[in-house]
Amino acid sequence: MSDDYVFPDLPLPDIAPGTSLLVAGPTHGGVRDLASRMIRSPNGEGAIVVTTNKSAERLVRDYRDSGADVGPDTLSIVDCTDGSGDVAEARVLSVSGPEDLTGIGIRFSDAYRKFASEDIKRVRTGVFSLSTLLSFSDLQTASRFVHTLAGRIGKTGGIGLFLIDPGMHDDRTISTASQFCDGRIEVREGADSAELRTRGIPDDSDYWRAFDTHD
Amino acid sequence: MKILCADPSPGDRTAVREALGDAGYTVREAESLAEASDTLDSWGPVDCLVTEHELPDGTGLELVEHARNTSPDAACALYTDASFAEIDTEAFGDVVVEYLPKEAGPDGVVDFVEFSAVSRTQTAYPLPDDEQARIEALEPYAKNPGAFSDSVDRLTEIATELFDLEAAAVGLVDAHEEQFVACRGRSFGRIDREETICTYALLDHDVTVIEDVQADPRFEGNEGLIEADIGFYASAPLVTSEGHAIGTFCLYDSEPRSFSERNRELLSTLADEAIAGMELQQQARGETA
Repeated sequence: MSDDYVFPDLPLPDIAPGTSLLVAGPTHGGVRDLASRMIRSPNGEGAIVVTTNKSAERLVRDYRDSGADVGPDTLSIVDCTDGSGDVAEARVLSVSGPEDLTGIGIRFSDAYRKFASEDIKRVRTGVFSLSTLLSFSDLQTASRFVHTLAGRIGKTGGIGLFLIDPGMHDDRTISTASQFCDGRIEVREGADSAELRTRGIPDDSDYWRAFDTHD
Repeated sequence: MKILCADPSPGDRTAVREALGDAGYTVREAESLAEASDTLDSWGPVDCLVTEHELPDGTGLELVEHARNTSPDAACALYTDASFAEIDTEAFGDVVVEYLPKEAGPDGVVDFVEFSAVSRTQTAYPLPDDEQARIEALEPYAKNPGAFSDSVDRLTEIATELFDLEAAAVGLVDAHEEQFVACRGRSFGRIDREETICTYALLDHDVTVIEDVQADPRFEGNEGLIEADIGFYASAPLVTSEGHAIGTFCLYDSEPRSFSERNRELLSTLADEAIAGMELQQQARGETA
């Protein structure tokens, strides 16, 4: 049986363990919906979400509304917002703000370690969003942060999704962020629905394909 | 590989040093922020820093901040029993560090070093896909870069005249620094890899042109470039016959400017000439050794 991460309700190929992906698209164009669905873990997997815009409470509510099974044993949230952090359905690790990449990084390390100690070997990580982190830090610091996270994800056979809004950044910033990732998923608004295409993912064509959003 | 371990606890320090020593690493110890800072200043760039957060005269994050200046590429970890509540990261939000609770033990430290330091996962710049092979290909040239100066220097002279630019240089980019074989119009010493534009140029085996360096987000606030008055940059990689880019043939000017397709072709030719000459010299040296 393959160890690849699978996304049965999305037009995406299976993704090899250890892969980090840049998920690029306009903030309200289905990109967050896509990444959130990719992050939702089946039984036996863990998820870590670094959230810079939505509080842990809102994130958990979205998960519940989508029918996802959430609990503190399988969902860790590194919350960079001003939320209370008081959520029963997730392990919440609060950080003072999105400018504190050191604080985010050590909490991410801890969440990963906790999953490992509970014998959860497959972890899906989402950074929602890298654009916010970039707006509070210089590119070099954000690069070190992404490199560190992607390194851990690669080593442990996880999957990592780094959300970025290309409209907010210089092309060279997007290109630099891409170079720390193994591939890219691009999202756009199509005529009737959101569309995606992949770059750098083995065995997948780079054609645009529609997907339904819940946004 | 050089590793610094800072911990006020002699027992913990020794356990980590012995575990890392058994794994074949060169380790120095320090029991305080001051001693560890002195070691960073005097020992040269380290590959890895493992520090307790609570030091008698400061914190581990203060030490990591110091290391980011002296050893910017170092993989850094807090190896500590301190809880998140006890680690005030807010003032050190830009240092980025791994967190290793002491329950991970010395084996956890070895595991961290073997992955993060060897794979260099805390650099602030992307690494070429063939980085390890590239470094190995560079070794014979990096031993004595001055030996290639005469032939390469003539090419930099031609380049400044040909493109009507203020400066040209040929640099070799090793694991942590760029050193220059020849400079014309500007004088460069060794430059940390995260501070040099050539780090990014190496990622692409094509000509790199940055028409306005100061407007590029990758070099925002880069004091070295501001000090050297670099407004324009173009380079072509020095690609060995095995296909590894070991450095760059670079052009600089204080003013932003454009660079035509024909100029790109000519720059690429100069870079090919430079590396071909260096390879010939290297071969001749090997035959007479």
